[in-house]
Order: sequence, then structure tokens, then C-alpha cells
Amino acid sequence: MYTIIFAVAGYFFLLLTVRVMARRPGGQLTFYEFVLIFLIGGVIIAATAANDRSLTNCTCAVIVVGMVHRAIAVAKVHFPKVGAVVDGVPLVLRQKGEWNEEAMQRANIARDDVMAAGRGNEIRTLDDIEYAVLERSGEISTIKAERK
Amino acid sequence: MSDASITRPVEDSVPKVDGAVAVGEDLDFQRRWWRFERIIWSIFALILLCDVLEVFGRGYFAKAERSTVDRTMHLKYERVEREHAPSIMSISFGPSAIRNGEIRLFISESVVKELGAERIIPEPASSKIGNGGITYIFPATAPPATVDIALSPSRPGIHDFTAGVEGAEMVKAKVTVFP
Repeated sequence: MYTIIFAVAGYFFLLLTVRVMARRPGGQLTFYEFVLIFLIGGVIIAATAANDRSLTNCTCAVIVVGMVHRAIAVAKVHFPKVGAVVDGVPLVLRQKGEWNEEAMQRANIARDDVMAAGRGNEIRTLDDIEYAVLERSGEISTIKAERK
Repeated sequence: MSDASITRPVEDSVPKVDGAVAVGEDLDFQRRWWRFERIIWSIFALILLCDVLEVFGRGYFAKAERSTVDRTMHLKYERVEREHAPSIMSISFGPSAIRNGEIRLFISESVVKELGAERIIPEPASSKIGNGGITYIFPATAPPATVDIALSPSRPGIHDFTAGVEGAEMVKAKVTVFP
């Protein structure tokens, strides 16, 4: 019983902690993010399994985490607000060639990050970026300005 | 049974920026979320501050001491503990605790169950149960004489316990166990 409660509590606490860490650009984990995920995950696992490291207990914990995860995935489909809370919403960083300073500061995004994303889209200079959007995944999408 | 899949006409429901780029931005929600983030980080900071100040136990402020008026017993324990975290409850006895070459220490059942007494050092010569607890009998000569009880609380909550020398004044105290 305690395992189920701890697993659910651990899942939501981990989700909350990761979610309130400001999003950073890049869809792939960097080395220091690997450290974060493994360390936080390991600590939560230790608290969830506690002294009972039996296969039964750990199996129950894994099933609970899987079920909570699936329930959230279903809820995201039916209730868009759940998706907004869990994954966040896209954020426009650059609009019509102008920076959205509020979004840039709050999301801890540097202009170099936007330029790096632009290079991946064959954009050569910042001036060529008309729109930049911080996606829910953490990636930055860029849309090239149309030259007249 | 038809093999045809269910289809729906395409609806362009994603909000657009400048009426041109379908992004689905919700700035009002995002601003509320940023406010929520600040509140959560404040709570996290408060939790860490409480931990530094040892509100959650495992530190100087968690330590407590109680004595009986007749000085038969002096108890050192932690008033704030954490579930499954080890600690020591130490009981020192005065001269009046030794009767007929032995000390009879009574502890309530909660020390064994909720507070999770795992070991008692030194091992008692014998023990007996009754009156909602256990009485341990230790052969003793003269003070100083101390018994340590290794604890590992089994469940969170506020737990009352009683300890004392049989036939003398008892000490009653509470221990708060955090999960």
C-alpha cells in the first residue's frame, strides 16, 4: 500500500520539480541534464522502494508509475489544459523579427540559442529569423524571413 | 464490420500568431505558470531552510532530554525523527534505580512498534510483557549506568511513549516522525 502511495507521490513530485525548472533549448539531454535525471530519479526510487527491495514491491511500484503515466497521457488527449500543465505551451520568442524579451528572460533563453536553432534550419543570421518558437519539447523552431 | 477508419474534416483550431503562424501559444496561461513556478520555488526554498534549521530532525534542535524528578532516570532522545532513519535513545540511571542488584526498565509498546526499537544495548538478562509495554531487567552494580535503544521509526506520525524504572516515576514524551 505504502509503495503505491510513495510511487504516485514520487512521480508527481518528480514531474513538478522537472516542470518548474525553466525549460532550456534542445530536444536532447546534455551531460549535465543526464546527471540531473539520474540523480533525482535515483533518490526518488530509494524513497519509493524504502527497505523493501523485493521483486514484488518493485514490480508494484513500476506498474503504478506506468499507470499514472498512461492516465496522464489519456488525460492530455481529452483535456488540453492537462497537457499545458504537464508539458507547457509553445512560447513565441521572436515575432516579426523582434524579440519577445519577457519570454526570453523567463524561459532563460539566450539569443545564441535561437541562432543555433536557426543554423539547423539553414538560417545564416539572426536578421533572417522572422519567428522563433520555444516548443513544448524544449526545441526551438525558427521560421525564415521572406526576402523581398 | 467495416474496415474504414473514422475520419473528421480538418479544423484549423490552433491559435495563430499574427494570423500567419499556427503556434498555439497561450500567454495568459504561461504567465500564470510563471507565477506558479515562483511560488513553488519559494516553497522549495522554505523546505530547504527548515532542513538547514533542523526542523525536520537529524540535528541539534531535534535532540531532547527529560529527567524524572526523583533522578532515577535521565532520558536523551530525538523529538523529531524520520521514518526508517536510525537514531539512539539513551537512558541513564541514578543510584535509586538500582534495586536488589538490578534495574527494571519499563518502556511502552510504542517504542518497539511505532519508533521501531531494533536493538537494546546492553542486552537485558530477561524481559517481561504487560501494562502496555515491556519491562527489561538488567543486572547492575552502581551508577553511572546507561542503556541505549537503537531506533528506526516504522511509520510517520506523532507517537507518544513512556519510559521509566519500574515502581518509580515515568517519563512521558512525544516523538514526531516525518515520512
